[in-house]
Amino acid sequence: MDKKNNAAIVAKGLTKFYGSFQALHGVDLTVDREEIFGFLGPNGAGKTTTIRVLLDLIRRDGGDVQVLGIDPRVDPVAVRRRIGYMPGELHLDQGLTAEALLRYFNDLRGRAAKWADVLRLAERLALDIKQPIKNLSHGNKQKVGIVQALMHKPELVIMDEPTQGLDPMMQHEVLRMLKEARAAGSTVFFSSHIMSEVESVAQRVGIIRAGRMIEVADPKTLGRRALNRVRVRFGKPVESADLAKVKGVKILSQENGKEIRLQVEGEVDGLIKALAKFSVSDFETERPSLEETFLTYYQDGAK
Amino acid sequence: MITVFKHTLSRSRGAIIGWGLTMLLIGLMMVMFFDSIAENAAQFQQLIDIYPPEMMAFFSESGAFDFTTPEGFLSIEYFSFMPLILGVYAILSGSGMLAADEERGVLDLVAAQPISRSALFLGRLLSIVVALVLILVLGYVGIMAGTSYSTMELDPLVLLVPFTSMFALLAFLAGLALLLSMVLPSRGMAGMVGGIVLIASFFLNGLANLNDTLAKVEPFLPTRYYQGEGWVAGLRMDWFLGLLAFGLGFMLLAWWAFQLRDIRVGGEGSWRLPFLRRKVAADS
Repeated sequence: MDKKNNAAIVAKGLTKFYGSFQALHGVDLTVDREEIFGFLGPNGAGKTTTIRVLLDLIRRDGGDVQVLGIDPRVDPVAVRRRIGYMPGELHLDQGLTAEALLRYFNDLRGRAAKWADVLRLAERLALDIKQPIKNLSHGNKQKVGIVQALMHKPELVIMDEPTQGLDPMMQHEVLRMLKEARAAGSTVFFSSHIMSEVESVAQRVGIIRAGRMIEVADPKTLGRRALNRVRVRFGKPVESADLAKVKGVKILSQENGKEIRLQVEGEVDGLIKALAKFSVSDFETERPSLEETFLTYYQDGAK
Repeated sequence: MITVFKHTLSRSRGAIIGWGLTMLLIGLMMVMFFDSIAENAAQFQQLIDIYPPEMMAFFSESGAFDFTTPEGFLSIEYFSFMPLILGVYAILSGSGMLAADEERGVLDLVAAQPISRSALFLGRLLSIVVALVLILVLGYVGIMAGTSYSTMELDPLVLLVPFTSMFALLAFLAGLALLLSMVLPSRGMAGMVGGIVLIASFFLNGLANLNDTLAKVEPFLPTRYYQGEGWVAGLRMDWFLGLLAFGLGFMLLAWWAFQLRDIRVGGEGSWRLPFLRRKVAADS
């Protein structure tokens, strides 16, 4: 079986216009079966548009798409039957309970999900499905979205920002669910703008910016390019020039040589070793947002 | 499609009960008033005679009334204004069938389930049609139940005529509003345009009875083909089928527009008219 036939998602030259605004500029994407593929990009990069084209919720203006070997424009029902989808902007019918909504979706799926599995997922996420949706918090609504996407054990899970609005424990649980889905033979394609989240579960990461796929890489490669912002306080004034010589380090600001703010691209090991010869009284790191990382690393659209 | 139909009808049960019971109670009440009005028909006739003809033109094409007959009484007191009230319901139902959920962002997840757009469209449309029929049936039951408490005698089959005609007008309005919601930028705008068509048609239809210039536009008014009076003579099939055909035509066009267009969620650009879709070849 060649790679294309073995792929869960193949998109070639995908274009999409909203009126005169071009949202996708020839996106090429291949997601292999049984992998977790992280789809990264800053807000407005085209992640959601790409996902919605894959589901035929919006219509592409150009290019080819195959999802599980089927063109979603030709047979969208067959594609959606095998997919579990959670949208990024999740809006649920406020007039129903979570249980009624999940039963409705399961009925639309021809009762493909066993109700015991639905209950098990809800229990893992600490979701009370008897509650009316209008009474649920944002995080709990998000859990309803996750349950409906996973309840029928789909071949392909597509999630748009699945962990947004969840507390850290639940974020961890959802990422564990995605890993379990993959272990059970599913392919997972999920978008995020949180680098660390993608790094922790994905085998490969696709980067999209301004409607163009910039790169597909493994998370470690990406992590090496990640930016860290460091603030160091010294017992005695130091020469910042010594630190600026360290590979990947850029001095952002300094106060009398006793407090220096630096930006480190990739691992901080070199900086730590350079700092060892000074008297350090305080050391703080902060990881900038993905947007900042993108602006820094991909500022000229270059790899 | 059946799952969508059952779900949508179940979600509409409050509206069906609310609008249907209102229709039932108005019908019941009007018929129960019949005896007292018939007893004082002479005084009522005097009262009506002093009303300006411009006003009475809205209630009858001929401007002549006979309060003492069930047909005359019901035509004026019930069937003359009921399409205006139920027309609002039909327009709200049609314009909101898909666009309301789309604007709330709810349609996105529903459409991502394994169901075709046609099945989603037809399931919801069928529920609207059934809801309209149920509301009209409750109105019919109200009038027939009222006859038990009055001397009014009505042939149950003859009474079906104005309700059948009203159904055709409501289907026309619902279809028009649905089509407008598929091509205009918002549900609110579709409802507004549909409402303007209904109200303008109602008033122009009434005034056309008095003004020769307006009489020329009368053939283009949907309310012209509603049989709110003269129903004892039987259903005018040409009017009934004409309204129904236009209603179905609007629904077909709306279905076609729904097949072509993107399902919108917030922040993804505005709607476009389907025939203005950009045809762009793959650029890679």
